[in-house]
Amino acid sequence: MIGPFDDFRVLKKMNWLLNIAVGLLIILGIMFIYSACYIDGDQAAEGGIKHRKQMLWAMVGLVAYLTAALYDYRWLGRISWVFYAACLVLLVSVLIGGETIGGARRWLKLPGGVLLQPSELAKLAVIIVLSRELSRLGSGLRRLRLVFLMLLVTAIPMALILVQDLGTTIVFVPIVFAILFVGGARIRVLLLLGGAVCILVMLVLGALFLPAKLGVDEEGQARVTKATFLKDYQRQRIEAFFDPEKYAREAGYSYIQTRIAVGSGGVFGKGFTKGTQNILGFLPRSVAPTDFLFSVIAEETGFVGSVVLLLLFGTVISCGMHVAALAREKMGRLLCVGVVAMFFSHAFINVAMIVGLLPITGLPLPLLSYGGSFMVCTMGALGLIQSVYIRSHRPH
Amino acid sequence: MIDRENGWRLLFTATLLMLAMLGLGFRLAFLHVGPHERTRELYEEVTHIQRTINAPRGNIVDARGRLLALDHPTVDVCVDPKVICARGQVLAVSEVLSRALQLPRGVVQSRVDRPKRRFEYVKRFVSEEKAEEIRELALKGVFFRESTVRQYPQETLMCHVVGFSNLEGVGSAGIELIMNKLLKGRPGLLESEVDGRRNELYSLRKVDIAPEQGADIHLTLDQNIQYFTEKALDEVMEEYNAKGAWAIVQRVKTGEILAMAARPGFDLNDFRNAVDPQKMNSPIGYNYEPGSTMKAMVIAAAIDMGIVTPETMIDCENGAWLHEGRILHDSHPYGILSVSDILKKSSNIGIAKIAALYMKPEVLDSYLRDFGIARKHGAGLPGEESGYLLPVSKWPKIKASRVGIGQGVTVTALQMMNALCSIGNGGVLMKPYVVKKIVHNGETIVEGKPEVAGRPISAEAADITLKMLARVTEKGGTGRRACVRGYRVAGKTGTAQKTLKGRRGYSDTNYIGSFMGFLPAEDPEIAIIVVVDEPQPIHAGGRVAAPAFAEIARQTARYLDIPSPSYKFAGTQSGNGR
Repeated sequence: MIGPFDDFRVLKKMNWLLNIAVGLLIILGIMFIYSACYIDGDQAAEGGIKHRKQMLWAMVGLVAYLTAALYDYRWLGRISWVFYAACLVLLVSVLIGGETIGGARRWLKLPGGVLLQPSELAKLAVIIVLSRELSRLGSGLRRLRLVFLMLLVTAIPMALILVQDLGTTIVFVPIVFAILFVGGARIRVLLLLGGAVCILVMLVLGALFLPAKLGVDEEGQARVTKATFLKDYQRQRIEAFFDPEKYAREAGYSYIQTRIAVGSGGVFGKGFTKGTQNILGFLPRSVAPTDFLFSVIAEETGFVGSVVLLLLFGTVISCGMHVAALAREKMGRLLCVGVVAMFFSHAFINVAMIVGLLPITGLPLPLLSYGGSFMVCTMGALGLIQSVYIRSHRPH
Repeated sequence: MIDRENGWRLLFTATLLMLAMLGLGFRLAFLHVGPHERTRELYEEVTHIQRTINAPRGNIVDARGRLLALDHPTVDVCVDPKVICARGQVLAVSEVLSRALQLPRGVVQSRVDRPKRRFEYVKRFVSEEKAEEIRELALKGVFFRESTVRQYPQETLMCHVVGFSNLEGVGSAGIELIMNKLLKGRPGLLESEVDGRRNELYSLRKVDIAPEQGADIHLTLDQNIQYFTEKALDEVMEEYNAKGAWAIVQRVKTGEILAMAARPGFDLNDFRNAVDPQKMNSPIGYNYEPGSTMKAMVIAAAIDMGIVTPETMIDCENGAWLHEGRILHDSHPYGILSVSDILKKSSNIGIAKIAALYMKPEVLDSYLRDFGIARKHGAGLPGEESGYLLPVSKWPKIKASRVGIGQGVTVTALQMMNALCSIGNGGVLMKPYVVKKIVHNGETIVEGKPEVAGRPISAEAADITLKMLARVTEKGGTGRRACVRGYRVAGKTGTAQKTLKGRRGYSDTNYIGSFMGFLPAEDPEIAIIVVVDEPQPIHAGGRVAAPAFAEIARQTARYLDIPSPSYKFAGTQSGNGR
């Protein structure tokens, strides 16, 4: 053992089911990024670039995965706060001088033209800090003060991200809940927190819909909706979710189109690169390979493909939970739970949004959607699960 | 070490997550294979397009194939006001468009500044070059639609016959109206699918019926003869301050109409600004009392019956004849005149005597109706009038004498023209027509053919009457001014007082002067009628209409290379008399 890194030989002890599921998901992602960008003519070049770039990111992700697996997670405790602080610095610098893409300022430009999305790193940082602190303090967690400390640790990056990216902010909620729950927080406290979140959501929805129902004049409505701090497009997306046909030409457009894409896929789909919804440009071309990749897959591979995809996600999640159960100590377990919660939240929210169960949010599909930072972060996080697995108790 | 007491929490979490994934699976199953008509409908709605493609309207051409009406491809410049308003570019776009299209900026702005609207025309029928200029500016919210505009290259020429089609491409007057069904063609139909940018996917085209251009209508009218005619009318209008003037040029032996003109006229390309009097196709649509031109028919009838010969002498009562309690005057007093001279001098009393005393009213009535008076010819143009002649059973005693001189009976120029033509055509009345042929896809589907419409008088009677009519243009006749150098002209003048509006009786100041005739008198080829409405201060048909007749006849005869039998005898161009 050299420092926190183990010998390469420990890689043989990796969870191969997880490896296979992850590998398949990445391959599917690259294939359908190609398909999502596939059209005849001159724009084919652009599509070619995207799926090749994704391959490159997958390689980088693989390196992160293996590195994390080799790294003894128990050493993470020592650097957790440093990592967390670094993330906060990055988040603040995004707010000051970030790159704006598609109207959202979420990226930092690194030397070499690589775009880094610090909010992805922040999720990981919060998972590490939380699992470390909760495991170190042991049963002390039952003291309310510590729960609040943990909530504060989560709330700071959330607040910094909220400014530009509502979707990513929301993902923090299930992560924190899962870690606190498995970490042993009092049920009463968790119920209280859950209630608070519910009330917040109800308040926002109420502010959006009640004034109109109660017959408040438009000016009054505008004032109330302004108090929700939602941006216009976000408000529209929520309203469109509840009445998509009314907003069929605006915010409800993507919503209807994705449902059409999924619905028209049928049982076996239209075939690879044959999906008319995305190729013909009904799906916003910029998001087809990113946030809306699932609708491309659903359209082209049909119910069969969707189920295979869900099974692969389920495999990753259950592997993660299995490793959590096998973990040698609490920190490993909480790390796994946090990573699984993050992975699950992305996958679930993304798919639910496409099948019309949630409003449109800009969350990518883990391991599949086009995008470098997220791919590398997800792979790194999953590598931590392997790291826990390699060092777990196992019946031989 | 791990606290065992919280193991259930891990299990619970894992179960919850798997259940959530299962829930997604159910939802996906529902969407993929479940009932989703609504989704299918939506899909159809967005991707399916059905478009009709306007068929180009057929052309209207003259007897020699010269274009009178054609479709010209143009572009409608349209805007999506909502898009422009949302981008806050109302002023900028209005400015650019108003400059490019030469429209007042206020007008453009009022069309663009309608935030709720998704479609608004800015200018229709813009040339393709101009549209291309605007297209290159790539203005958001500005788009183009292909359209066609009906163009009439000859502008006012033949305006009443050709007619016009409205902005929606529906024929609204003249040939455009009556031939609308054939002209409009069959629109094409396109059913296909579009991509997200509304571009058509050619490979998914389901229905593709090409539009079929409408048929081309070939008129019997000749642009050049029409031009002579209209020019002569313009001169009459100017010289005699007339309220209106109209004329027809027709082939005697076939009934083909070679020209049909009316004044005032209008520019077909600007039909929206034309007023009703301008749009009136008077040669077929204006009922008037013909006056003396009717006398030709009365004489022809009397000859045909054999009750008079050209040499029969009739006392013209020195210009005043009391009949049925009313005194009838001649413009110049005459004593005893031969029938031939009665026609030449146009004596009212002579004709009235023949009509009232020599003929039974029923016989006169039946002859006139045989000549085509008081019925429509069906020349194939909209707005044809029939004139009016009281049923003979209701005639008062004085009626026959007045009908004989063209009073108390209304006619159209077309009716007089054709009655005259039957005299020039051996007593055979031809049906007048304006459509020479209709060509569809290079194939003649309809061909206008001469059609006999009746035989009012015998060939001998026609021949005798024709010879008498030829004397009208001789020295001492009323139609001297109708002479054409190189030809003998037969014809008849007419000067009719107009009836007073809303009162009984005739006006002393408002007349209709007319001349109808044909040439060559020996074997008539073409017949022409010229009618001048309210010429001032001179009224006589022989003075106002005959010169216009001569002008039209001279040019038409030369243009058609009509041989002149009389020209063989040098120096006898004004006839060999009798």
